[in-house]
Amino acid sequence: MSKYRKDILIALLCFCFIIVLNFLLPRMLPGNPIAYLTGFSEEDMTVKQIEYYREALHLSDSLPKQFLYYLKSLLDGSLGYSFKKEDTVRNLIFKRLGYTVEITLSGVFFTSLLALFMGLRAGTKKEEKLDKILTPATIVLNTIPTFLIGIILILFLSFRLKLFPYANLNSPGIQKGTFLYFRNRIHHLVLPVLTLVLAQFPSRYLLVRNLAADIADEKYILYARTRGLSNRAIRYHYILPNISSPFINMVGMSVGTALGGTLVIENLFSINGMGTLLSEAVYSLDYPLIQGILFVTTAFMTLSIIISDGLCLLLDPRQRKREK
Amino acid sequence: MKKRYVPLILGLVILFFFLLASLFPTLFTEYGRKEMFAPWLKASSEHLLGTNSLGYDIWTELIYGAKDTIVIGLSSSVLALILGVVIGTLSSFEGKLGEVFTFFTNIFVYLPKLVTLIVLSAFLGNSSITLIFLIAAFSWVGTSRVVMAKVRTLSSQPFIENCTLLGYSRMHTIIHHYVRNLRDLILSRFLSGVTSCIMMESTLSFLGFGDLYHPTWGTMVNFAWKRGAMLRHAYNYLLSPGFAIMALSLAFYFLSLFFEKRHEEIEY
Repeated sequence: MSKYRKDILIALLCFCFIIVLNFLLPRMLPGNPIAYLTGFSEEDMTVKQIEYYREALHLSDSLPKQFLYYLKSLLDGSLGYSFKKEDTVRNLIFKRLGYTVEITLSGVFFTSLLALFMGLRAGTKKEEKLDKILTPATIVLNTIPTFLIGIILILFLSFRLKLFPYANLNSPGIQKGTFLYFRNRIHHLVLPVLTLVLAQFPSRYLLVRNLAADIADEKYILYARTRGLSNRAIRYHYILPNISSPFINMVGMSVGTALGGTLVIENLFSINGMGTLLSEAVYSLDYPLIQGILFVTTAFMTLSIIISDGLCLLLDPRQRKREK
Repeated sequence: MKKRYVPLILGLVILFFFLLASLFPTLFTEYGRKEMFAPWLKASSEHLLGTNSLGYDIWTELIYGAKDTIVIGLSSSVLALILGVVIGTLSSFEGKLGEVFTFFTNIFVYLPKLVTLIVLSAFLGNSSITLIFLIAAFSWVGTSRVVMAKVRTLSSQPFIENCTLLGYSRMHTIIHHYVRNLRDLILSRFLSGVTSCIMMESTLSFLGFGDLYHPTWGTMVNFAWKRGAMLRHAYNYLLSPGFAIMALSLAFYFLSLFFEKRHEEIEY
């Protein structure tokens, strides 16, 4: 079994692990599972209500049977019911998911692009100056917590220089669907995405740099150099194809960590995405919603790993040829 | 020769300052933790960083917060280190046992850490102790993978085989060869682990999922942000805890830099 197939399998198993964890958490912890599953405290409910919820949540059945009911709620897409907000978890999440995905994916895109470009330059031995400046700079950047990066950006770019707005994703009063709306959205997205990029860049950059530096030591690079090929040609025709597989793999993995960063950023920029929904859910102890969010983020992350590993399988000629 | 010690000295000085602050906070501040003054005072000689929304002296809060931040960071990273070394060693074994643990480790690599942590802390409560265990439970993966790889390469080395052939006991080989060879690796994993644990704790606290009875630096930023320090231009309140976290992480980074350099010099 090739590495990428194995990765996909492990990602799927991780997904199953989260499903089982989600199922067991409210049922195995000390305390009444009804309180966890509805989010109401036991004292506030009448005996009749408790009976009603016990039936509605199938809590009198055996555990395996309960698990089947739980799987069914995942499969039909409702993901459970939030008794606090009186809506299905799916509706609540899907209203907010778009904003989170916008920030996360554009953050991952720009981080990867920047990391690839800079990492390739710094990794090839010819650009020692760039490497000497950029590598310590990224290490310092790495020790700054995400929220501090965001706060500093807001302070300078939006309070001092008044270049960008510091909250929400759209100004009020602009009609949806127009070009103005789109431009306004981009304008609002700049700071959150920039924060995410700065927070994620160091680790990605160092990874690409080390990958590139390893390849740059190879004999065929030396040969290419002696043939008088330009640095550019060596970088993009010799090194890039060789690091493309681990790079794509890394991009897929980074979606998961970027999602974590987006949680912080949404709270900082008061964006109504999944991050703020999760905070609301935790503060109001809306357990079904919390679990639904964990499920959706894991699903999102698993999907990105499957796509990236699938891409690796398709792109890498060694993998393709082996099949035949 | 001298240049080599710069990171070590720098790291130790910063660390010493923070340790002193956490052990003897009264050395640095004459106010009590909950002593009240007028709210939102600007920085002055009496209040180095001004006062916050409730009138607490921010410098004092910062000094007292050092202890909770360092305690959570250190203890969770020590726990994570132990977990990592044990699971790493177990997964380096050949056969079924090793495979099972390797698989277990791989599953943890893919978990969306922060979200899972928040969900678990919502269910299990957010006292400092729970937080330490939770952070440790999600920080051992890197250590475990490195330890596994190292133990595997060590096991196939001739000098280990030699020990077995010469009839030394298993215990002897482990203490004199495995542990000695793993020492540097474990030290560097510990130093980088502290940084990431502190980061994780501060992120959780910033989001408001920390222990409110033991406010750390992350909790301070959370309060500052929520109580409108930005709009009141109380930038000290917002930024100083963040910079403290940064300084602490940098201290550990400098230390790891020194040991890494020393390690390289021994190798070559």
